Amino acid sequence: MCHAVFSFAVNSDSPDLKQTASPYVFEATALKKDFDDGQVQALRGVDFKIADGEFLAIVGPSGSGKTTLLQILGALDRPSTGTLKYKGQSLLDLPDPASYRAHEIGFVFQAFHLLPTFTAVENVEIPMFEDHTSRVERKARAIELLRSVELEQRVNHFPAKLSGGERQRVAIARSLANSPSVLLADEPTGNLDSASAKHVLDLLTSLHRDRRMTLILVTHDMSVAGRASRALQMRDGRVVFDGDPATISGHN
Amino acid sequence: MTFLDVVTRSLKRRPIRTGLTLLGISVGIAAVVALIGLSRGLVSSWTAGMKSRGTDIVVNNMRGSLTPKPFPASTRDRVANLPGVAATCMILVDLMSIETAELMIVSGREWGCFAWENLKLVSGRMPNDANERAVVLGTTAADILKKKVGDTVQIETEELAVVGIVNGEAFVENGSLILSLPLLQQLTGNQNQISAIDVRVVPGTDIQRVCAEINRVVPEARADPAGEHIASSEGYRVINAMSWGTSLLAVLVGVLGVTNTMLMSVYERRQEIAILLAVGWKRSRIVRMILWESALLGFFGGVIGVVLGIIGVEILKHAPALRGMLEPDLRINLMLEAVAIAVIVGVLSGLYPAWRSSRVAPSLALHG
Repeated sequence: MCHAVFSFAVNSDSPDLKQTASPYVFEATALKKDFDDGQVQALRGVDFKIADGEFLAIVGPSGSGKTTLLQILGALDRPSTGTLKYKGQSLLDLPDPASYRAHEIGFVFQAFHLLPTFTAVENVEIPMFEDHTSRVERKARAIELLRSVELEQRVNHFPAKLSGGERQRVAIARSLANSPSVLLADEPTGNLDSASAKHVLDLLTSLHRDRRMTLILVTHDMSVAGRASRALQMRDGRVVFDGDPATISGHN
Repeated sequence: MTFLDVVTRSLKRRPIRTGLTLLGISVGIAAVVALIGLSRGLVSSWTAGMKSRGTDIVVNNMRGSLTPKPFPASTRDRVANLPGVAATCMILVDLMSIETAELMIVSGREWGCFAWENLKLVSGRMPNDANERAVVLGTTAADILKKKVGDTVQIETEELAVVGIVNGEAFVENGSLILSLPLLQQLTGNQNQISAIDVRVVPGTDIQRVCAEINRVVPEARADPAGEHIASSEGYRVINAMSWGTSLLAVLVGVLGVTNTMLMSVYERRQEIAILLAVGWKRSRIVRMILWESALLGFFGGVIGVVLGIIGVEILKHAPALRGMLEPDLRINLMLEAVAIAVIVGVLSGLYPAWRSSRVAPSLALHG
């Protein structure tokens, strides 16, 4: 029986992770993920390294394993077998994945996933509850983040009163709440019209550039993937292409 | 925004469901307040009645009933001669149907004893002697029976003259028909029988020690400090147990309601919980959120239940079977107990849903 070696390392913000000097944020070796007692193999041995500050697009058709991979990178799920290092340090069975998710990772979802009974600013405050900040600090930081995504006029609006593009920008502000090192975006423009999609992509690109964040973006849209500096193409749970997104079409 | 805001916002999301759940738990708490309030009122009302009469010890034969069983009047002599006993008063008391009233307290008192002293005339006069075929009514009893001085009241088969209306300074006293002991003995066929001996002790005497002494010389009855004779009776214990049993059954329904609500809430919010996990919330915080929600349901259900209970008691105490017999005991500690029970019920009801919430897979956040 194989056991997953699910390893994370560090960022100074996360109490569970120790600082290392690896140039890579993620190093995956022979990552596999099975469902239904092995009847479904979502990942069939995936190897890759992602450099710190890189903008990586993960592309592929539905069922290729890209979302499963994103879940594993974000510690939302665990691999069945294989090794995954975060910033060079291997940690077996992270005792508190929540801390890693809170401090190292920011998530942006296709369906935004804002909480409908909370205003924009309250949605952005939500991730800060584990950070022991005061109510005043939380609110001030949330307003600042909303200002950074050009939504300072919408802080007290509920999600239902926001456009799709505005909701996604709130979601991006929320993902930045705890100053993560890595932004994981799952089809962030999938539910948006082209103008809003461009606005959101511009925002993500500028965040990557200005904050030197590692941006990992799952998409099936090659024009979106074209914004990345590197693309991983997946098919049937395997990486079939790893390189410049501009050259990816030849591998389809 | 505080954590409490997060919790309350979740409850406000489904106002009808939250309202119905509050109603469910509040009905249970209302039952606790009403039934336990009435049950405790029985003790406090009789205790107040005894105190107004200046009685320190009651010797009676309550056993399993709420009214004492008659025993020979000659028993009094053995009690009266004990050291520490200052005065005694023989009483025959019964619950009887009087004219249109279903149950009234009828109290026959030894003529001239201290149990007459607390009665203050509101109108009319006291009976002239032990043999006058007359009765005085407590103010509440007169109100219930719609009698005034000069009317007659039928006890068993005899019409007695209402010669006075009295204020006994206690709910039980004011709800009573009071007449001389020999007259009630004759009317009820209990010649030379009494159902209680009220005892006053010499000031400074240890009441418990006198009780013990009485119990030694009068084994066929039981002496208790005034008021405790009700609380220690089997009849009261049965009533108390039934009150608690009924109340807890009602509370159990509330528990199931809160559990059901919270389980549905957790089920509906699985993806939301997954999102909270994805953005870094610890599972322990999710569990706390659910427990706080259910505790708040319990708290507000408890507060509403106390209000409903007080309203219910006001209605119940005017019911024909209870009117004039007892004053519900709705002291603040009962209300605090009821709210505390509701909060505990809320937390207990939330335990399983909270555990379920802690099992939600964070990977659900990327679905849909």
